[in-house]
Amino acid sequence: MMDSTRDPTVGETLRKHGVTRRGFVKFCTATVTAMALPPWMGAAMAEQLRNSPRPSVIYLSFQECTGCFESFTCSFSPTIENLMFNVISLDYDDTLMAAAGDAAESALATAMKTNFGKYVLIVDGSIPTGASGACCTAAGRSAEDILREAAKGARVILAVGTCSSFGGIPFADPNPTNAWPVSAIVGDTPIINVSGCPPIPEVITGTLLQYVTTGEIPDLDEHRRPKAFFGNTIHDRCYRRPFYDAGKFAKTFDDEGARNGWCLYELGCKGPTTYNACATLKWNGGTSFPIESGHGCLGCSEPGFWDKGSFYEAQSTAKWGRAGETSGKQVLELVGATVALGGVLGVGSAGISRLHQTHLEKDRNEDVTKDEP
Amino acid sequence: MNVDLLSFARGPALKFALGIFCAGVVWRILAFCLLRIRRDFNRPRNSMLKYLWTGVFATASRSWPHPEFIKRTGAGEALGYSYHMGLFVVILLFGPHIAFLGSLFGITWPGLPSSVITAIAVVTATLFLGVLFRRVTTPVIRMLSNFDDYFSWFITMLVMLTGLAASAHLGARYETLLAIHILSVDVLLVWFPFGKLMHAFYIFPSRAINGAILARKGAAT
Amino acid sequence: MTDLAITAETHADAATRASQVAGAMRGFSREIGAMSAFRMESCIHCGMCAEACHYYIATEDPQYTPIWKVEPFKQAYKREASAFAPVIRLFGLKRAVTAEQLAQWQHLLFDSCNLCGRCSLICPMGIDVTTLIEQARHAMFDAGLAPQELYDKADHQQLTGHPEASLEPYRQKLLDIGIRFNVPIPLDQPDVEVMLCVPRTDIDHYPQAVAAIARVMRHLGVSHTFRSDGLIAENYGYYAGSKEWQREISLRLIDQAVACHAKILLVPECGHAYTALRWEAADLVGKPLPFKVMAATEYLALALKSGQLSLGKADIGATSFQDPCKLDRMGGVIHAPRELMKAMGVDLHEMENSGNFSFCCGGGGGVVDIEQAKPLRYRTMETKLREVDATDTKTFLTSCSDCRRTFDDAKEHFSWDKSPQSLLELVAANLVATRPVTTSTGA
Repeated sequence: MMDSTRDPTVGETLRKHGVTRRGFVKFCTATVTAMALPPWMGAAMAEQLRNSPRPSVIYLSFQECTGCFESFTCSFSPTIENLMFNVISLDYDDTLMAAAGDAAESALATAMKTNFGKYVLIVDGSIPTGASGACCTAAGRSAEDILREAAKGARVILAVGTCSSFGGIPFADPNPTNAWPVSAIVGDTPIINVSGCPPIPEVITGTLLQYVTTGEIPDLDEHRRPKAFFGNTIHDRCYRRPFYDAGKFAKTFDDEGARNGWCLYELGCKGPTTYNACATLKWNGGTSFPIESGHGCLGCSEPGFWDKGSFYEAQSTAKWGRAGETSGKQVLELVGATVALGGVLGVGSAGISRLHQTHLEKDRNEDVTKDEP
Repeated sequence: MNVDLLSFARGPALKFALGIFCAGVVWRILAFCLLRIRRDFNRPRNSMLKYLWTGVFATASRSWPHPEFIKRTGAGEALGYSYHMGLFVVILLFGPHIAFLGSLFGITWPGLPSSVITAIAVVTATLFLGVLFRRVTTPVIRMLSNFDDYFSWFITMLVMLTGLAASAHLGARYETLLAIHILSVDVLLVWFPFGKLMHAFYIFPSRAINGAILARKGAAT
Repeated sequence: MTDLAITAETHADAATRASQVAGAMRGFSREIGAMSAFRMESCIHCGMCAEACHYYIATEDPQYTPIWKVEPFKQAYKREASAFAPVIRLFGLKRAVTAEQLAQWQHLLFDSCNLCGRCSLICPMGIDVTTLIEQARHAMFDAGLAPQELYDKADHQQLTGHPEASLEPYRQKLLDIGIRFNVPIPLDQPDVEVMLCVPRTDIDHYPQAVAAIARVMRHLGVSHTFRSDGLIAENYGYYAGSKEWQREISLRLIDQAVACHAKILLVPECGHAYTALRWEAADLVGKPLPFKVMAATEYLALALKSGQLSLGKADIGATSFQDPCKLDRMGGVIHAPRELMKAMGVDLHEMENSGNFSFCCGGGGGVVDIEQAKPLRYRTMETKLREVDATDTKTFLTSCSDCRRTFDDAKEHFSWDKSPQSLLELVAANLVATRPVTTSTGA
């Protein structure tokens, strides 16, 4: 793909696929609204995009389950998100591309060379460094090497999914492949983390779209996630919040409270500490989200969510064991051990006190009664 | 990194705090229980059953205000008992607290609506502020007060305020607020065995034992 | 020469101060046990005890807060014998008790405390503050800081059996009372049911009370005696804070009771004498006493109940009653006096703070004997006198000779219009014949 052939603009491509200008403006407006940008930007975004050459995007997948990619691409019915593939120029993607072997590798090399400094690099999956990088290789090169090279020519990296954002499930204890997030490998290129396991499709596309349109990195939180989608917790927007406030909690799955849609706090919902858009954008085109389906939030867009564990224990519980272990036995052990220790110290103290008392009382001439109060 | 402030607060920090708490409480109590005990040789006025029972009864009767004293002590007692009751309600009847205690003790019980708890917590914190005011402005109490009194007040107040902030999501990200609240509880647990908070363990045995000793003489309890 | 003298004096002073502190620490240490430790641990600095103490109520001076009176004791305990004492000593978290502190606290522990027990009643933690004060007094005695008047009397009493020198031996005074009031005084009888002791205050100031108990005992027909070598009821060892002397003084009475095989040691009108014998003597001696100790009102109330004693209507008009602290609130003898008064048809107007809550007369705990305590005592007594006046009665009764002495002293000081009467004397004046008495009265 050469610049000189002038790629069709986004608008031209869309028109080819039967998307009207109006439809596209609507899509952009919806996206802009979801990101809490000013409404006038919708039209501006549409206009800009229509007249822009399609930006180059390279999608690299490392130690991942492909769930993030599935989220990005799959949908129940053809939606405008699909058409995003016509807005960008997806110059490399392991899963979608027809080429394989040397052809695929040369496509990657060409894409990086041609668009050096200009392409958007999307990464999903964690980067394992264990076994000298042998845990994840393509064409004999380790994931780490591939990433480092690709990062050099990228103007921004979108780390899509919790694995690439924070290390995700491979990073969880004991992390046998010594997996790392993108931010641990790459230092120079700006990174936007779009976390989630997987992230909501509209969150991925919205972030990409905003960057592609404005060329600017959106407002990020301390974990480098776009505040537009990760600024509020699930708890802040959860429709079951009134039940939380009223202290109505489901105690077990399928009990009376659960059937009445009560808050799932005691069943381990991590909504209060999980930043994501699930409660508002929801999944499957706004159909539902875990809590609405009766299961507590797992906190999948947060760092270390797997090790923090206690998926089914309320957030305010003590948590000492490994993920999945309950604290009860450990509490008993701790209490037993420290009570015993306290006992020993107490006996020791009493002994010291008594000895000291005897010491204070010596030199006394008379010793009247033995039994003192 | 998998360890953040919240995981630390309710993980290693809580473990440490609970450990110090258990060891410290047992240490402190044993250290004086094992000091010299005097046998009583005088003839009791009542049967052992009667005076032991009177002692047990005294655990409740000492809270009852007597008309002879109430003019002078009523206000202070009302303040003291009401914030204690507020604390108990908030600690024991708030959903997340019940879950926390349940994770330690293995049993749970029904709670009150969270909005009611918030209201009670605000009232309790206000009363508690009044307690400090009273301590500082009443000559008798000010004279008696030492570091222990003020620090115990401070750490208890901190727990209350951080708890209110966390449940109101006020001032920082929720998990930070929750972490700070749990950390303040951890500090309270560590301080507990070394200060006047031990009165929680002392009060009923003290009333009972001293009551029994008095009742043995037929003296007023 | 002068320099040397000054040096010698300050050296002696320093030695005195050091020995005071050492003595106090010995004393504190002897008193620290599980129970006193528990009490000191339990204090939450709520200040309620001040609201019960009539010294604080009268002066609003915070230093009279009861638990503050034992502050050096608490300090010593925390520093020397508490759970974390070694750490406290190592880091100097609590200072050691000083001689200056002890000197200051002598006033608080002796001049401003009647050991009345009201503070123990109010404490929400159930702390028996009164006992802590008693124990702190022991340490003060060991430090050489007991008030001189109490010390002298205690010393005299442990040596001779009576607190003050007397031209005439007390046994003689006792016999003289018998003659004067025409009542037999059995003395040094060998085998009796009841042995009587008698307050020296009564012998010297209220002899009619002595006659009264003798008369009542004779009326009951119970075999009884006084013993020359164990006569005086008061215990100045108790007041001064010396356990050794308290024990010596009690032993005198105990030995005599054993010698005459008495089943009951009867204590007539004296509060602390009852406490010292009934509730403390056995512990000091180290074993149970082989006889019962009873207060006169207690004994007589039982006799009333069993029908052994009958009383006629007393003709005294509306009356109030002063509950002696050590008998009533602290001794458990609270119903007996009222039963006796009821039997005599006394129109009783209770004071505002009566029974378990009554205020001390102001003289208890040895305070009435301490000269430097007088101004404070008078100031504090005003509360009590006002209460008595408020009952709108012309007379009031009591059953403690020290209460009588204290009120009479106040009567003089304030030109007050009242003087307490003895309940025992009233009983003796209203004895009614019952069936012939042959059997003994027991408890």
